[in-house]
Amino acid sequence: MAEEIKEKWSKIARWASKRSLWMVHFCTGCGAIEMPPVMTSRFDMERFGMGSMATPRQADILLITGYLSIKTLKRVVRVYEQMQAPKYVVAFGSCTINGGMYWDSYNTIKDLSKYIPVDLYIAGCMPRPEAIIDAFNKLMEMIDRGEARGWEKYEKYYEKYKRNQEAAFNYKLEEVEEVEEERKGGEK
Amino acid sequence: MIWEAISLMVLLALLAYATGRLSRYSGIFAVLAGFVPLAMLFDWAPTAGLKHLISLGFEKSTAVNIKIATLHFSITPLSWLFLTMVGGIFPFIALYAISYFKKAPGGFFGSMTLALVGATGVVLASDLLTFFIFWEVMSWSAFLLVVRGRDRSAITSYFSFSALSAYLILFGIMVLRSEAETLSFSSLSSSITSSRLTLLAFISMAAGFGVKGALMPLHIWAPRAYSRSEEPFVAYLAGGLSKLGYYGIFLLFYSFVGVSVITRFGTFRGVPYLGYSLAIFGALSAFIGTVLAFMEDDLRKLLAYSSIGQLGYIAIGIGIGTPLALSGALFQAVNHTFFKAVLFLAAGSVYYRTGRWKISELGGVAYRMPFTFLAALFSIFALAAIPITSGFAAKWLLYVSTVDKRFVFLTPIMLIAGVGAFLYSFRILYGVFLGEPRYPDIKEAPALQLIPMWILVMPLVIFLIFPGKLMDVFGEIFAYYGLEGVSHTDFAITTSLSSYNTLAVIFALMGGLMVAFIIYVSRPHRVVSHYDNYLSGEIPEVHEGLSLHAATRYYKPVEDLFQPYFAHGAERFYHHIEVGLEGVGDGLRRLFKTTVSNMIYLVLAGLLLIGWWLTW
Amino acid sequence: MVDFSSILALLVEGVLLAALGVLTGILFMGIARKVVARVHNRVGPPVYQSYIDIIKLLTKKTNISHGWIFDLALLFSISGILLTLLFLPIGGIKLLSIHGDLFLVLYLLAIPALGFALGAGASGNPNAGIGVMRALVMMFSYELPFIIAVLAVMIYYDTTSIATIVASQSHMRWAILVPPLLIGALVADMALQGMLMEKPFDIPIAPHEIASGPMVEFGGKYLGTLMLYKATSIVVETTLFVDLFLGGAVVLDPATYGAVAYAVNLVVWFLLILAVFIISVLINTVFPRFRIEQALKFYWSYDTALAILALMWIYFLYI
Repeated sequence: MAEEIKEKWSKIARWASKRSLWMVHFCTGCGAIEMPPVMTSRFDMERFGMGSMATPRQADILLITGYLSIKTLKRVVRVYEQMQAPKYVVAFGSCTINGGMYWDSYNTIKDLSKYIPVDLYIAGCMPRPEAIIDAFNKLMEMIDRGEARGWEKYEKYYEKYKRNQEAAFNYKLEEVEEVEEERKGGEK
Repeated sequence: MIWEAISLMVLLALLAYATGRLSRYSGIFAVLAGFVPLAMLFDWAPTAGLKHLISLGFEKSTAVNIKIATLHFSITPLSWLFLTMVGGIFPFIALYAISYFKKAPGGFFGSMTLALVGATGVVLASDLLTFFIFWEVMSWSAFLLVVRGRDRSAITSYFSFSALSAYLILFGIMVLRSEAETLSFSSLSSSITSSRLTLLAFISMAAGFGVKGALMPLHIWAPRAYSRSEEPFVAYLAGGLSKLGYYGIFLLFYSFVGVSVITRFGTFRGVPYLGYSLAIFGALSAFIGTVLAFMEDDLRKLLAYSSIGQLGYIAIGIGIGTPLALSGALFQAVNHTFFKAVLFLAAGSVYYRTGRWKISELGGVAYRMPFTFLAALFSIFALAAIPITSGFAAKWLLYVSTVDKRFVFLTPIMLIAGVGAFLYSFRILYGVFLGEPRYPDIKEAPALQLIPMWILVMPLVIFLIFPGKLMDVFGEIFAYYGLEGVSHTDFAITTSLSSYNTLAVIFALMGGLMVAFIIYVSRPHRVVSHYDNYLSGEIPEVHEGLSLHAATRYYKPVEDLFQPYFAHGAERFYHHIEVGLEGVGDGLRRLFKTTVSNMIYLVLAGLLLIGWWLTW
Repeated sequence: MVDFSSILALLVEGVLLAALGVLTGILFMGIARKVVARVHNRVGPPVYQSYIDIIKLLTKKTNISHGWIFDLALLFSISGILLTLLFLPIGGIKLLSIHGDLFLVLYLLAIPALGFALGAGASGNPNAGIGVMRALVMMFSYELPFIIAVLAVMIYYDTTSIATIVASQSHMRWAILVPPLLIGALVADMALQGMLMEKPFDIPIAPHEIASGPMVEFGGKYLGTLMLYKATSIVVETTLFVDLFLGGAVVLDPATYGAVAYAVNLVVWFLLILAVFIISVLINTVFPRFRIEQALKFYWSYDTALAILALMWIYFLYI
């Protein structure tokens, strides 16, 4: 009985969480320019209950809109750690996947998922607003199915992530490893 | 018995002074002296309509023959109430002072006890001579304490204003004496006539008392003396002694001159013009004091200006003079006694631990001194009249009384001053106690400081729940002076306009707190450091000397708007007077420093003048 | 002697009305978002969006606090505003309003605000300090015209009790139909804009400038409680306006119509506070933001002048 109630309750919580995604934009990359059309009358993301928040304490999604230099990564990590679980990371554009056009830059990180767990990537340079809306819908489905568990992975592999972050902060990008288990966990 | 008690207090004052060099605990004599008025209070409880608990045999009235004059003392409900204010807080402040001073200052405790003697004498006096003698004892022992602050501007301003106040009161007393041929309170008002001379005496005495009550524009000494003297004394000055000014004004209206005479000078909607103008001065005090308070960075000056503002409310109540307004004024006087004493003591404790007075240099003290913070928080609630302390009942009575009389100027001024009180309250709360933890290594205030503070907070809680108990005492006072009472029960006060029930507030708040508590415990939380803060992703720990405390010129936008109108307005006025007086003095000096022939002319002119006056 | 059945009835009534107030307030927040979206020519979120938001915030898995003073914000904000709600007559239901008056309500409104401010201050974030300063100055600004306008009402009806003011406006003799009080209502409505912190007076929480000011460190259950507080305060403030100027939404006299009257009055109350709120939201959508000293200047000049006009008109011509 208690289990059932707990299950029901977590289902309600997941539903509410999915229908009310508040974002904190990390708008240092060029992809930020795609956000205004998504928010305003053409695409209107507020109809999904989404909105932008001023501080990470209030937000559920950390939206990384493009490339991250190592200096910015420090801030991203701090912002991510200040967010309250359940929290999701949406990485935006090719730069967060493989460095994109900054693939050979000495002070730009190449794969965001090595430093913080990314729940969803949006490919493209840059992705169109349609792609962004589609991604958010996908994220909602993932939350509904209980698949978007990046924050749990961050807790589980905290030390590995920290090691990678430290290596990056010291400009030793070659020491950054894959968070292996994390990838496997994602497959399941 | 009264005289013996007063002698005992003087003896204890001398003892405290004499043993000051021997031990830091010489202050215990001051504490003992403080229990004498307390004993009187308990003994006289039936005077105020309370239950008789202790019987010590203090007589209700007495006359003492000293060589040159006869001193008369008696106890009335009003003097009982004011004795609770000046006497009730004294032992606790003295106790606090023992721990506050590292080295025992015999002079401090001696003068404090003398001030208590003066204050006790003032409230027990039943003729003008006794009143004036003890008034001066109180005033000048307080002066000794101001001198201990070693600040020239504070000393001179306190001295000149006290002297002014003494002259004004003495002048008033002399005029009343010549009018009524008596000095006794009980027979004064029946023999006074409504002549112009009486009016002059009234105004001069009101001004004299207004100085002590820090009424604008006679307040100049207050911010200086309050901000440059030792903290326990300031707590007593603001909490206890300032009330004596309003005690005097109250007596002026109801005993010295009498309402029947005062109303003959004209009334405005049932309120005498004299009272109404007092209320206007009170309202100006309340508003300007408040505005100056929230523009102030020095904690003590802020509290001083806030005192001026809060005391203004008492003036408003006494000025309007309806039972409702008088209850409000007396209620405010009682509240102010306790919350302002606690606030100054808490400020003292903060200084004791941090060594800072500037609000912009303090911050985060509450995390290390939670009990001091809570005491201060409670008194700030009372100051801002938040309805979870007794502070609200006083303001409410005053507001309702002004609406009742339809004074369209007083009500908004008082209310906006009340909102202004939130502003400076929060400046204290945020600037001193909350915000960035700048003093991570300080300790909580010593127990000897905390206990007095918390004892002084208690009345604020008790009178929240039982405002009616205090209203009973006021009822006795009103009966004594032949006024109607305000209808009330233990928990509720009812007026013709509306009613206020504290039980409803308390129970509804408890219900609300239950809801809040359910939400609070429903989800777990984790406590993080004050530096784990959202600063646009910035990490404050890595920056040297980065301040997270936004407390410097906290109300800058308002300051910029108000500064031209308010800054040093009254001080500039007194400055002009000073320059004028200097000019006169200069001329006189030049007159006397001239040649012999001029001197002869001067003497001749003087003689002629005297001759003319004698023959006229 | 204490009458337990009446106390029980009061308790049930209080709980029901508090729940009604909170739920209405949350609905209003949703309606506001929908209205703003429609003005922007967007679809907007569903009207029940704010319920979802609050459920989400209260079911967050982790929460952070900055110590026990920070928690006071949670405890005092919601309890204080529920307390205030109970002291207002809602659609003619008096509840506790006979035990207090307008001054009490004005000061009760300060309990949640001060509790919230304490919590914000205890977070140690400079943005919070600045935000609270602006909120307090905003309060200092709008209270002056509001008090003068309200004083006009109090003097006109010769009472300070809200319940009596509502009773004096029965049979559709609404205060707003008295010409000077119409000006008073206008003034109070402008003050209401500041009270609700809608644009152009939303500088205290300016999200893009000081990261939502006092709320900067609040998340999860803390933010959820603050949203409940905000929602209820919408109801409280608009109800206060309706009680003072729009007859407290009493259209049918319960003495003659019984239970039907209560139901009808509650519906009218809902519609009236909705109307007052939507006016405020519409103003919100078309205005940019005043700086704090501009807000102070606005309130203390134009708005206060109008308020004094209303008060003088009442003072010299009506009493």
